[in-house]
Amino acid sequence: MNGRLNKDIVGGLILVAVGVWIAWHAASSYPLGSLRRMGPGMFPAGMGAITAILGAIVAVQALFREVERADVRIWAPLFVLAGIAGFAIVIPLFGLIPAIFVVVIVSSFADLNVRPVTLAIMCVVLSIMVPLIFRVALGLQLDMVRWPF
Amino acid sequence: MDFFGNLAMGLDVALSAQNIFYCFLGALLGTLVGVIPGVGVLTAISMLFPLTFTLGPTTALIMLGGIWYGTTYGGSTASILLNIPGTPANAVTCLDGYPMAQQGRGGIALFMTTVASFFGASVGVILLMFFTPIIASYALNFGSAEYFALMLMGLVAASTISEGSAIKGLAMVALGICFGLVGMDTQSATGRFTFGSLGLLDGVSLIALAMGIFGVAEVIMSVRRIDRSAIDPETVKLKAIKPTRDDVRRSWFPLIRGASMGSFFGTLPGTGPSIAAFLSYAVEKRIAKEPERFGKGAIEGIMAPEAANNAADQTAFIPTLSLGVPGSATMALMLGALMIHGIAPGPTLISSQPQLFWGLIMSFWVGNVILLILNIPLIGIWVRMLMIPYHILFPSVLLFICIGAYSTTFNALTVWQVFFFGAVGYGMRIFGFPGAPMLLGFVLGPLMEEHFRRAMVLSRGSFTTFIERPVSGTIMAITLAILIWGVWTTIKQNKRRARMAREA
Repeated sequence: MNGRLNKDIVGGLILVAVGVWIAWHAASSYPLGSLRRMGPGMFPAGMGAITAILGAIVAVQALFREVERADVRIWAPLFVLAGIAGFAIVIPLFGLIPAIFVVVIVSSFADLNVRPVTLAIMCVVLSIMVPLIFRVALGLQLDMVRWPF
Repeated sequence: MDFFGNLAMGLDVALSAQNIFYCFLGALLGTLVGVIPGVGVLTAISMLFPLTFTLGPTTALIMLGGIWYGTTYGGSTASILLNIPGTPANAVTCLDGYPMAQQGRGGIALFMTTVASFFGASVGVILLMFFTPIIASYALNFGSAEYFALMLMGLVAASTISEGSAIKGLAMVALGICFGLVGMDTQSATGRFTFGSLGLLDGVSLIALAMGIFGVAEVIMSVRRIDRSAIDPETVKLKAIKPTRDDVRRSWFPLIRGASMGSFFGTLPGTGPSIAAFLSYAVEKRIAKEPERFGKGAIEGIMAPEAANNAADQTAFIPTLSLGVPGSATMALMLGALMIHGIAPGPTLISSQPQLFWGLIMSFWVGNVILLILNIPLIGIWVRMLMIPYHILFPSVLLFICIGAYSTTFNALTVWQVFFFGAVGYGMRIFGFPGAPMLLGFVLGPLMEEHFRRAMVLSRGSFTTFIERPVSGTIMAITLAILIWGVWTTIKQNKRRARMAREA
């Protein structure tokens, strides 16, 4: 790690990029109006600019001081987020029970130490408990299993 | 209606069978969540939030309130028995609570902190009862300029005073406001940042944002980090819960001092229960005749912080309910709950929704009495909950987050928003950006824009309106002072850190 490239510089620059994009998108897509009668683009453009300025300050500050190195994990976020994405893909197509299996099984890999028996028991128990809580107790109209074909 | 008539009406609302049940449920779930490290109060509230959709607004708020103060009760249990703070507000209770448990006085510590919690909460609720209507009636004359100034002060204070870099907090506020602006602009009916998605016209889901930034990111950070095998079942056995006469004598003044400090810091934006608990511990240690007892099981060291954090939990509702300006991320969620139920927050809340306001306040009494009775007999169950391994807990938490998000709209888009904000939240943890200011900005963003635009129309496009109007000008001056102070302390910290780095 070269001493200059620390997490505040990277984080600050990401914020600058996001802020500039927000301001540019707001200013180019929506009417700005005047100060007296503001259009829908004015406030978001201003906020995007402020985000970018603050991001720049974070990055510049970091040039003059020690910042601890970022602690980046790879597998935990990957499997946790994949589990959520799996749920979002499966539930409109196949219904709740398959979605429960997908999110529980996929996200369990984040632990990097998969216990097949525990996992199977968990899936079954949750597939019984969750419909009881959401369908029976709360009366939400969730389809348990759905066939798209 | 007079004050006592209002109280009677509130009590009537709070004591209806349905409200007692949901108050009990909220307090119970809150305690449970408070005990379990790795599931914070924000995750809990946003996870259980969808459950309150089918309820009326008063009942929903009563339950969410119960979760909020229940976590602080539960958090002390984990702090004392396991030296793991269940919530940040209970962290300082570990310092003297855990040594007490090691000396076989864990039962006494739990009993006494329950009493301290109840005492602190009672003081907080009494202040809440008296001051909220007074502040609200004063704020009825506020115009858009004053509201904008007030919200700005709340956001600046919340992001500069809380932990970490002031600039980073402010940046997250601005970004949160941007997320809050997604969707239909109320004045021109323009869909902003929707990219043609009909679902995004309703805006970003508050629940998805809170669950992603706090819940999902917390799970990612905690996987394979929380180790439960270290728990020794012997230390959690309770031998006696009856405090000695010496314990009781030592506890009086710390209780009163803790509750006063907690009440004060609870009302301010950005401080809240954690800071109140830390400061009251520091005060007790400073004024103690034998400061060397602290850290070795001094009862003062658990009484003051536990009274303080519970008092702060209650007084945090004062600005939220009287002005509609939340001081912390949790209060922002409460405000969001109100808005989802179609109730406009602000000084008119008390007069337009007296049932809700007084019912909620009286439910705090009900909830705290429930917690006082529940906490001790249920400790055995809480300890068993603590033994649940995290590899079973976290997939279940994720599942409930997904179902909770999906059930709010029955649209997979909300789950995708959880995915997006989970990734954003994890990124923010990597780069050390705080989540709470973003949630505050998100909730207040649309309101700020509305008031800002209205104030500018009224002033014919002149920014000086925010300074010329006396109340708004004063608030702006205070905001500036907080901002300067925040930046100055950050610079000072950096210099100290740089010096330390050179010397090391």
